[in-house]
Amino acid sequence: MKKMLAILLVLALAMGALVGCGGGETNGNGEETPEATTIGFLYIGPITDGGYNQAQHEGTMAVKDHFGDAVNILYAENVAEDIQAVKTNAINMIDNGASIVIATSFGHMDGMEELANEYPDVTFLHFSGYKMNDTNFGNYFGAMEEPRFLSGIVAGMTTETNKLGYIAAYPYTEVLIGINSFYLGAKSVNPDVTMNVVYINSWGDAALEQAAAESLLAQGCDVLTQHADTSAAQTTAETAGKWAIGYNIDNSAVAPGSFLTAPVWHHDAYLVPVVERIIAGEYTPESYYGTMADGYIGLAPMTDLVSAEAKAKVEEVQAQIMAGTYPIFVGPLNDNTGKEVVPAGSAMTERGDIWSMDYVLEGITAIQ
Amino acid sequence: MNWISISKREDLPKNREGVIRAAAVVLSIVCAGIVIWILGYNPIQVFPSMVTGALGSEIRLQQTILKAIPLIVTSLGILVAFKMKFWNIGGEGQILMGALAASYIALNVDGLPKPVMLLLMAIAAMVAGGIWAFIPAFFKAKMGVNETIFTLMLNYIAIKYVTYLQYGPWKAPESKGFPKVANFEQNAIMPELFGIHIGWIIALVCVVVVYIFINHTKKGFEITVVGESRETARYAGMNISSIIIIAMLISGGLCGLTGMIQASAVEKTLSVNLSAGYGFTAIITAWLSRLSAIAVLFVCIAFAILLQGGTYIQISMQIPASVADMIQGIILFFVLGSEFFLQYRVNLPLWNQKVKEVA
Amino acid sequence: MGQPLKAIEMKGISKAFGSVKANEDVELTVYNGEVHALLGENGAGKSTLVNMLSGIYHQDSGTVRVNGNEVRFSSPKDSIAIGIGMIHQHFKLVDVLTAKENILLGRSSGLFRNSKQLTKEIRAISDRYGLDVDPDKKVYNMSVGEKQTLEIIKVLYRGARILILDEPTAVLTPQEIKRLFRIIRNMKEQGCAVVIITHKLNEVMEISDRITVLRRGRTIGTVDTDKVQVGSLIEMMVGKKVDLAIRKEPPAQPMRPLLEVDNLHVVGHDRKSALADISFTLHEGEILGVAGVAGSGQKEICETIAGLTKAEKGRIFFDGDNIIGKTPREIIRLGIRMGFIPEDRLGMGLVGSMDIVHNLILKDYQNQPGIFLKRGPCAEKATAIVRRLDINTPNIYYPVKKLSGGNIQKVLLGREIDSDPRVLITAYPVRGLDIGASYKIYDLLNEQKSRGAGVLFIGEDLDVLMDLCDRIMVFCVGRVSGIVDPSKVTKEEIGLMMTGGKEDAAHELDQHQ
Repeated sequence: MKKMLAILLVLALAMGALVGCGGGETNGNGEETPEATTIGFLYIGPITDGGYNQAQHEGTMAVKDHFGDAVNILYAENVAEDIQAVKTNAINMIDNGASIVIATSFGHMDGMEELANEYPDVTFLHFSGYKMNDTNFGNYFGAMEEPRFLSGIVAGMTTETNKLGYIAAYPYTEVLIGINSFYLGAKSVNPDVTMNVVYINSWGDAALEQAAAESLLAQGCDVLTQHADTSAAQTTAETAGKWAIGYNIDNSAVAPGSFLTAPVWHHDAYLVPVVERIIAGEYTPESYYGTMADGYIGLAPMTDLVSAEAKAKVEEVQAQIMAGTYPIFVGPLNDNTGKEVVPAGSAMTERGDIWSMDYVLEGITAIQ
Repeated sequence: MNWISISKREDLPKNREGVIRAAAVVLSIVCAGIVIWILGYNPIQVFPSMVTGALGSEIRLQQTILKAIPLIVTSLGILVAFKMKFWNIGGEGQILMGALAASYIALNVDGLPKPVMLLLMAIAAMVAGGIWAFIPAFFKAKMGVNETIFTLMLNYIAIKYVTYLQYGPWKAPESKGFPKVANFEQNAIMPELFGIHIGWIIALVCVVVVYIFINHTKKGFEITVVGESRETARYAGMNISSIIIIAMLISGGLCGLTGMIQASAVEKTLSVNLSAGYGFTAIITAWLSRLSAIAVLFVCIAFAILLQGGTYIQISMQIPASVADMIQGIILFFVLGSEFFLQYRVNLPLWNQKVKEVA
Repeated sequence: MGQPLKAIEMKGISKAFGSVKANEDVELTVYNGEVHALLGENGAGKSTLVNMLSGIYHQDSGTVRVNGNEVRFSSPKDSIAIGIGMIHQHFKLVDVLTAKENILLGRSSGLFRNSKQLTKEIRAISDRYGLDVDPDKKVYNMSVGEKQTLEIIKVLYRGARILILDEPTAVLTPQEIKRLFRIIRNMKEQGCAVVIITHKLNEVMEISDRITVLRRGRTIGTVDTDKVQVGSLIEMMVGKKVDLAIRKEPPAQPMRPLLEVDNLHVVGHDRKSALADISFTLHEGEILGVAGVAGSGQKEICETIAGLTKAEKGRIFFDGDNIIGKTPREIIRLGIRMGFIPEDRLGMGLVGSMDIVHNLILKDYQNQPGIFLKRGPCAEKATAIVRRLDINTPNIYYPVKKLSGGNIQKVLLGREIDSDPRVLITAYPVRGLDIGASYKIYDLLNEQKSRGAGVLFIGEDLDVLMDLCDRIMVFCVGRVSGIVDPSKVTKEEIGLMMTGGKEDAAHELDQHQ
């Protein structure tokens, strides 16, 4: 015990000496401009994942570019989806002056809820969750079913085997919406198309995503897409000489041989105005749901691998969706057990209805 | 000619010991500093930042203590097993099984007042963790099965089982398909005292109890004797099998208690991530504390400082997580490495000869 | 050249381990054609000194000359190359290989030498020195004596002209010792220098030409054997006059039986018979000695009586109660006062890292009520034992493994006699102890005897057994080959009983183990 105390003492002294040396300099980048607003971002993965987190961070950087010295950005990568990890990172950010904390993965929700109660002076924004309060905790997301549907059209008009492959994270509502809207997009231009889904039970894991992609290719799928964080599906499809539709960001440079297009996020379209409102003291918590018309989401430019015919079709439908005249979930629709979920003659357009989806549609085979 | 020879040290003067430990700390800081510098950060800023980041304010201190709590309780559990030279590498699994049992109570028993509920959860967790440790202890005591591999493998069974529950039968309907177990009701959540959940009181109580148990009870004495020499224990008429089993029930029980604390106070639910590697880290801290319950307290706090300091510099200096982990790894490498030099003497005959010839 | 050549000349040798000075300014000169005994108590620095000769250690200061040339060894290889051969107490042989293969091991020329040629060479060496080993015999089939002979051949084959033997007689029967001495004399006649380390004085007097005595790391002096008395040698070793008589009172009459062992059979760990058909009676107020080649069942008889080893069949009566099959805990609970000094003190009898108090608690705590450990009574007891047995320790909270061998043994013995045992089982209680300590132990055993306890004394030095014991039970390969009155037999007769009547029967023992 004495020994341990001694070692602690030595450690403290050694570091204390360094404190002495370094005392005159600024500590980190948090204190350079006292007026600046500090914003902390929590990411579930590394910002260089070529997908989800990279898209989030591009939004973050756009915020920095827009506000310049008026904001300081802090971010933490690889924040696990448990309260422990969320809170320790967020509290360290608040300790470093953050007055806005933005968490970007669904599983960060409960931690954010607790933080919102504990730190009433800090504004918390949560991407993809449903919890909020009246004072300092809001959420935001986007109608990803719109660009998903468009990318489905591209897939449906590109496939030769009429079999599509979908690598999915979890059988969670957000993911199911994406699966179904993509499939409906394909089906709208190619009635013979079927689709196989593989769940990897992780938001992002390049190895799992690659294994799932290989398995789908082996099942005869020739156009792959994914609801997972990395670009593994596109690179795997490229190696196999097949096509792939990405997600989150434009990955045409990563897999030029397979990449067709991708439904993408433009996080800055929401973050810039909302941060502006928060700084101005004009923010009240909301549940934002951005659309293509808002510019919050969209379809990445289609590459040369996409036929002119498909491009024309996509542009036609896109204009209608943005005009609000093209509902995506139009009856009759059955789930893959044969149960009717949207009756003939009606369409599912309410956000609440769409966000209670707990099935995949007829024609889709899902492997858990 | 041998260019190196290693022999066990018999006795080391106190001042030499101090020199070796101090050298380890200084070397670790120098080495980590070089790495930090190569990676383009300023070591003169990083190190003080780590210390102030762990101790510099009330919030930071709270964060440090939050990290120390599970580490202390788990280390005490590991200590009891290691005292007996039973290499319990299964802390991780025992934590998860404890959390699982506590969660089962929290999710399935209704209407209990908070103190009763928490007590019931703690008991369930200790029993479950104890059982998870009892299995290898039984096979070791009765058949001499190697406990290292056995406890290690039981970790994976526990992890996979909790994963299965989280993704399957226990998945909360309200989480819309996301693999998450339902949150606990308010009566299953530990209260706070001085801004930190009362796990810190539990941890302190455990330190005292384990200290008394090991040093002042007959069972603790038996465990120590079995650890030092099984033959002597047999000679003194001790029932070795029952001692192994009881010690492991206690060891696993403490690890299980960590699971309950983390589930109830931190996560408010069961999550496969909640053990967060404490079961493995505790092996290092138990070892560094030379299997003394009191020392565990200080070593775990020191370790928590390192963890919190690492998290803090990531945020405040925007150093990538991997770099912060490297700094922690380097410091740990030297501190653990110094233990080797404290116990063994390394001779370099060629070197010595050269030095002499030069002289 | 009237003066014979100096084989070894060590001058001003000092060697320290940390703060401990193992050798300080030591002088040793050994001539060719002489047997030189290195005499000293445990810890006097004998092993350190010869380890420097064999290249294991390197001296801090001083010079070593071999055949007149100054040498510097940096590894044992250098020492072997210059013609020094060391026979360690623990043989360094590979069991599954033959004698010939063992001789070749470690030779850079490898295993691919002409086998017939080698056999011839071995035979030549054997004939020259009167050594007798079958080159194709596997080591595990050899008796202890044969293994030692093989070790000697091994170093001679490597060209050794200077032989160092570390405690060579410790494990040998009287007959084997005689043969070893014959070999040593042959080597001497061939002009070799032989250094023999031992603490058995009668052997020193018998075999050596000159004697160097070390004490506490220093050379006390070198004397010619034929001009010195045993008494003055002891004085040189110990530093004071020691009374070397073991007093032996006749046992109390009538002899009341205390421990009766009847037809005991024990199977060892390797599923082979370790004890067969053992029957004897230990009486109150007597010391019953047990003699035998190492591994003849001594360990098993002790542990079976103490309840540590299960018996296959047979009965053990303690004062009329059958205690066979009882665990040590049950024996303690029955209130049977039995003391046991096991062979492996730190491995079985004591916990080395614990202090004296806790080692006393070891025997005591089970009779304490409650769940807590009470140290108080044991601390008092520890103080009393330290005073009574004159244990040299800084305090009663000092780890016992840091004490000297004699003091460790006193702690163990002190604990075991503290409960006034009616039966005291002692396995090799003086092994590794210096002369003063050994006699202190003999006195304590005699004290127990006169108190009325029955003492079972497992010994290895036949002289001591004969001086101390009232009766001697001789073990041979797990059987009792006889119980004799030491005043009516000779050492040689006991030696024959130990080996079953045949001089080289010892190897049978190994096969039976």
